[in-house]
Amino acid sequence: MTEKTSTLRAPYATVLKPYGQALVELAKRKSNVICLGADLTRQTETDLFRDELGDRFFNGAMSEQNLMGVAAGLARSGHQVFVNTFGVFATRRPYEQVAMQIAYANLDVKIIGLMPGLSTPGGPSHQATDDIALMRALPNMTVVDVADAREIPQAVEAISAISGPVYLRLKRGEIPVLFDESHQLDLDNVVVVDGVGDSSAEVDLTIFATGMMVAASVAAADALRGVGLEVNVVNVTSLKPLDAAGVLREAGRSKAVLTAENHSIIGGLGSAVAEVLAEAGTGVPLRRVGIRDTFARAFSARYLFEHYGLSSQHLVDTAAALCGRSAPFPEVIDVPQEVGAYSPV
Amino acid sequence: MIAREGFGYLGQALSAAEIFAALYVDVLKATDDLVVSPGHYAIVHYGAGVEVNRISADELETYGVDGSSLESIGTEHTPGLSATCGSLGQGLSVAAGLALGARLKQEDKFVYALISDGEMEEGQTWEAALFSAHHELNNLVVLLDRNDSQVDGPTHQVTTLEPVPDKWAAFGWDVQAVDGHDVAELRRALRAAAEADRPSVIIAETWTLSGLDHLLPDEADGHFLKVSPEQVEAARAHLDQAERDALRVASAPWSKRVGGVA
Repeated sequence: MTEKTSTLRAPYATVLKPYGQALVELAKRKSNVICLGADLTRQTETDLFRDELGDRFFNGAMSEQNLMGVAAGLARSGHQVFVNTFGVFATRRPYEQVAMQIAYANLDVKIIGLMPGLSTPGGPSHQATDDIALMRALPNMTVVDVADAREIPQAVEAISAISGPVYLRLKRGEIPVLFDESHQLDLDNVVVVDGVGDSSAEVDLTIFATGMMVAASVAAADALRGVGLEVNVVNVTSLKPLDAAGVLREAGRSKAVLTAENHSIIGGLGSAVAEVLAEAGTGVPLRRVGIRDTFARAFSARYLFEHYGLSSQHLVDTAAALCGRSAPFPEVIDVPQEVGAYSPV
Repeated sequence: MIAREGFGYLGQALSAAEIFAALYVDVLKATDDLVVSPGHYAIVHYGAGVEVNRISADELETYGVDGSSLESIGTEHTPGLSATCGSLGQGLSVAAGLALGARLKQEDKFVYALISDGEMEEGQTWEAALFSAHHELNNLVVLLDRNDSQVDGPTHQVTTLEPVPDKWAAFGWDVQAVDGHDVAELRRALRAAAEADRPSVIIAETWTLSGLDHLLPDEADGHFLKVSPEQVEAARAHLDQAERDALRVASAPWSKRVGGVA
């Protein structure tokens, strides 16, 4: 039995703009990489690319529908194109263009959607709460969400190695470091990052978490362990294709399953896991933690995560009840973070 | 091509026949890209493609048949088309991307995009117009089929698009307006467009009944024409005679194109 609990806990060190740096490094080695933006250059960390590799950076202005078509044309002429904007503007507004010009044609276009879910106080116009659902529904599209600053540079490399289209969901700015230096991003497998590594050992609960909710799930798991529950946290980086065998393997040794996503519970990780479990005839009790079929308000991320049920405490309450425990439920220890630093909420 | 079913995108073929003739015979090189933004116009691409040995006559017979590579609304399964269109308003953006990509690769080629006047109703067309002018894509040439026709009837009854040349000029494009059924005018305009220092648009005034107007009713839906077997026979006879009367010109070197029909 291996306990993987040493480097995952808050408070977290943070890295500034790891995506923007990684994209520059990739493009320095790979001369066909083009960077496209839509009037959100600094906000998508691509000011670094513009300043270093300006001849391969194009600002397409606030014209996302056109931008997806331009990306397709560039890809058809032999380029690998990274399109950078906020997730909501990369998915909802140009959905048909992404579908017809990029997904249908299976082109080498990487769509980078920043500010996932409720990570922004921008309200419903800026919160990408259905982007995973939209992108998952497109044939040929790979959908990736990452948990920390170690995974981001690896994700840039990994999606660059995929020949077809990819949607990469990214928190922007200061990104926490959850994993140690040896951590390897795995797009092919769901991975137990916290808990009982021995795949034959039974556990009370498995939390399948993606993106920002991995950190929140680790905090929740600690509180649940405090009342005697054996809990695994599984990092799901590839929402599509989903490692169905891995989901079944981990769910198969769990008395209960929780999914945790900073996204609508419709169409995202929770739905994807439910589809796998149901089609396999698995009767394991399941709860989906995420945004419950609602639009959100324009308030602070911390408020939003608590109000819309994405906090670690909400995970604990849901999980404890699912595991047959009665209230009062264990409390999550609130680890203070420096102002301006990342908060797992 | 539409005789088998008795309906199809004949109006598009009739309005754009001379546009494609001028483009294919006189200008388009094997290395150039062609985007047909209204994918419905694939029918005229197929018809013209046979004349320049791009598409075999046998293959033409499969138009609209299940399993054919000549789909009724063209996709990239179609020989010679550089993008999958049909959802209107998307083609010009792809053409702009191809033109920018060619410039980055220092490729000496042109990107031609056929767009329809109805597509000016899609906001994306103007996004693409802004982008192309800002990036000075002088290797991009748009052929705009101004046939005043869309599903609900004459375009001018649906919405006001005029003044069309002024709109493109205001967006920073090189603009020429021509009679879209005059091959000589089209050829002159295409040659001039190649010399422009900006993206070019050739606004071709056309008619969806052109050439068969004496056989087809005035009130015909230009977007999706229905024809009777008698009309088909009369049209065949008319076009056969027209072909006998026509001037022969040399074919473009299509066989050099990647994947081309030998």
